Amino acid sequence: MRSLLRRQAWVASDRGRQHDVTGEGAALYGVGAEVGPAVRTEDLTKTYGSVRALKSVSMSVPAGSVHALVGENGAGKSTMLGILAGRTTPSGGRIEIYGSEPRYGDPRAARRAGVVAIYQELTIVPALSAEANVFLPNPVVRGGMLSSQRMRARYVELCEQVGVKAVSAGTPAGHLSVAEQQLLEILRALVSDTRIILFDEPTASLAVPERRSLLTLIRDLRERGVTIIFVSHNLDEVLEIADDVTVFRNGHLVISDRRPQFTKPSLVRAMIGNKDNRVLAEMIEDSSGPAAATRRPARPAPTSSSTAPPVLAVSGLTVPGAVEGVELEIHAGEILGIGGLVGSGRTTVLRSMSGLEPRARGRMWLDGREVSWPHTVRQALRYGIALVPEDRKAQGLVLSMSAMENIAMSDYRRVARAGFVTDRMVERATQELSRTFGLQEGRLRHQASKLSGGNQQKLLIARWQHRLPRVLLADEPTRGIDVGVKTEVLSTLESMVAKGLALVLVSSELEEVTAVAHRVLVLSEGAHVGTLIPSGDNRISVTDILHLAFRSGSDQQALSRSLQSGA
Amino acid sequence: MTETHRPTENSAGTSIKPPMTQAAAEAPMRPNRYLTSADLLLRYAMVLVLVVLTIIAESFYHGFFHFANLNIAIDQAVPVGIIAVGMTFVIIGGGFDLSVGSTYAGAGVIFASVSNHMPLWVAFICTVIGGLVAGGVNAVIITKLNVNTFIATLASSSVILGAAYVYAPSGSVSATASGFAALGTDEWGGIWIATYTLVAVLVVGGVALSRTPYGRSVYAIGGNKEAARLCGMRVKMIQGSTFLISGACAAVAGVITASQTGVGSATIGTDTALDVITVVIIGGTSLLGGEGAMWRTFVGILIWGTLTNIFGTLAISSSVQLLITGGVLVFAVSMDSLSRRLRH
Repeated sequence: MRSLLRRQAWVASDRGRQHDVTGEGAALYGVGAEVGPAVRTEDLTKTYGSVRALKSVSMSVPAGSVHALVGENGAGKSTMLGILAGRTTPSGGRIEIYGSEPRYGDPRAARRAGVVAIYQELTIVPALSAEANVFLPNPVVRGGMLSSQRMRARYVELCEQVGVKAVSAGTPAGHLSVAEQQLLEILRALVSDTRIILFDEPTASLAVPERRSLLTLIRDLRERGVTIIFVSHNLDEVLEIADDVTVFRNGHLVISDRRPQFTKPSLVRAMIGNKDNRVLAEMIEDSSGPAAATRRPARPAPTSSSTAPPVLAVSGLTVPGAVEGVELEIHAGEILGIGGLVGSGRTTVLRSMSGLEPRARGRMWLDGREVSWPHTVRQALRYGIALVPEDRKAQGLVLSMSAMENIAMSDYRRVARAGFVTDRMVERATQELSRTFGLQEGRLRHQASKLSGGNQQKLLIARWQHRLPRVLLADEPTRGIDVGVKTEVLSTLESMVAKGLALVLVSSELEEVTAVAHRVLVLSEGAHVGTLIPSGDNRISVTDILHLAFRSGSDQQALSRSLQSGA
Repeated sequence: MTETHRPTENSAGTSIKPPMTQAAAEAPMRPNRYLTSADLLLRYAMVLVLVVLTIIAESFYHGFFHFANLNIAIDQAVPVGIIAVGMTFVIIGGGFDLSVGSTYAGAGVIFASVSNHMPLWVAFICTVIGGLVAGGVNAVIITKLNVNTFIATLASSSVILGAAYVYAPSGSVSATASGFAALGTDEWGGIWIATYTLVAVLVVGGVALSRTPYGRSVYAIGGNKEAARLCGMRVKMIQGSTFLISGACAAVAGVITASQTGVGSATIGTDTALDVITVVIIGGTSLLGGEGAMWRTFVGILIWGTLTNIFGTLAISSSVQLLITGGVLVFAVSMDSLSRRLRH
């Protein structure tokens, strides 16, 4: 109780300061100068064996500001976050949190200093109620017993304070959405005396409306004087919400400045350094949203489409409770995008076609010949339909096995001679692929778990190139990988399509879908609401997808908010 | 194994080298990250343990390395070793087989009783079929009824042992057939036939595990079932088949023990399952599946054999035996988790 009062006291004082502030970023420095920085690091260094993850990083985060850490995978931003959270012990250098030096590598010490970290893998106990999760580290106790009454009251109070609709307190947390679970973690942080919240990719697994409300919540927290430090791959978000941005590259702090000093291209340039200029240019344009779409010439639909029947046609695909009445057809050499928000049934459609949904019903034609719906993966593979799953680590890779093994496992028969397989045969069979996929051959024998996210994704795609399916279903092939590698992965897929593969692409980055797809099928809440086909010079835009996706839904507010974020 | 017989493949192999070194040159940033000395040490820690144990044994009683002693040491480890080969498949495939002890004991009973009425080879085949049936039952319970392997085999273990007692209420069947003891007690070139059997099972198992598409699928399934399924592997069939292998191995081991003792006894398998799991894990195969190797099981067998030999020769009390075996197992498992932490 005492701590709560103290917190409210300083929140109030900070809020007082904030009121006469108009220009967010600039004026905040004034506040920071008065109370001193929330976090200051000096020559912070971290080495793992021979690898230096952080090289002498000195930075300062003003109190009550939102600070973004950006950089490619392995640039050092997550290490930085880990050190601040006390999860990682620095190898050298110094940290100050509100002027005092915490004990390093001790998460409890960091907590005592008022630092709470919220990671992508949430630390929610699914079986406990929402309320119990919020009070997990600091239960309200009276006479040695938990006081559920008081906790309930505090819970409602907290929800009001942060201005969110209270999630029903008794619901088991496991039944809540990711966004709601994340909210519980934020509430949990507020229960204790939290002054600094660290977020790792806070919006990565959220749908657009949820992203918006999280960003709003982050702004509210800042108003209350909480300092937010977050890592994000989403540069639009960074530019939208951060007061300051720090860019890491290869463990170095490249630049740390106020947000208005950056534009998206300049951020990307700072992140990737002096890479091939062509890649760079493509990347900046690709990632700069629908405007870039006009740059590329409109793709002509594959010429074969008029004469040959589609490689794959589906009608009336229904999975009870998930999708209903989806129709699609796809020709060889064509990319069909599936647009829609998280939860619109995109993944279910792909899973059904790859034989993973036993309850799926529908009709399927291969080359115009009707076949029975695949209900096992093996049946789908016999039809030539393969899936690159959404969750690389849980569903895609065997992390304990070597990279080359992960490629070859889609079809060992292609590798084996007289029924025997040796490592060298596997290596030889996968070398060619690794070259075309831009994987270093020297890494083929390394464990898949040691490769970067981008390289792991390439393994999954190379796996299917090894087996050569006719239709590839790619679910979020660019999620969580470096900006630079994203383009590589997409162009690899495009080159496979150029050789006659039919590709169905699902991505939360709708810009990506519009950039590479010939046609876009739009789903909304499990219903097939339309298919976008570019006519003449007009490219499909993200706005088109969102319009279509929301036309059927009643949530007009969400529409307008999403359009703001999309445009 | 196949390359050595094919010069063409070898020449192709050498022609691959230049691009490989080139690729290595492309990544000069962190050459040693993936094979640090600590990693190597952990990976081969159990080989070191074996060497140290043999040195300890030799220093306590000269004569450990004498042929006769080694011959006996290995011979004693044959039944456990053979079952461990099957268990290696099961564990790498992500399961456990606690029923091997009962199958092992039951197999001895079947072998002894059938051999009293039929030719030995018929008895042998019947016994192996019995082992396969036991494994098949496990496979069905696990893959069709989706029961956890631990629980399923715990239950079937009890059922199999119960069946053996129903068949032979006294718990043992004496064998009367001439030549019954051949597999257990005959020698060839001074080495027991049983030892050759173990070596043969190890080699066949090792090749099947590391050099066939089947074996690699076992690794993939143990490492990540979902990924294996998405690759079109017959996950259930392959996982089920590891229990067939395990059952057959236990049956062969039962035949050898019956042959060595001249009796098919239902009481011999009480500790077998845990002994066998200990052997597999001591070698460094991961308890969690997906990682391990047959040579590791071989190392485990040698460590186990050496320990048994030390215990027997020095007449170490069973309480101390338990302490030492437990200590070695803890060491092996902590090496596994240490190297895992280092690598991930």
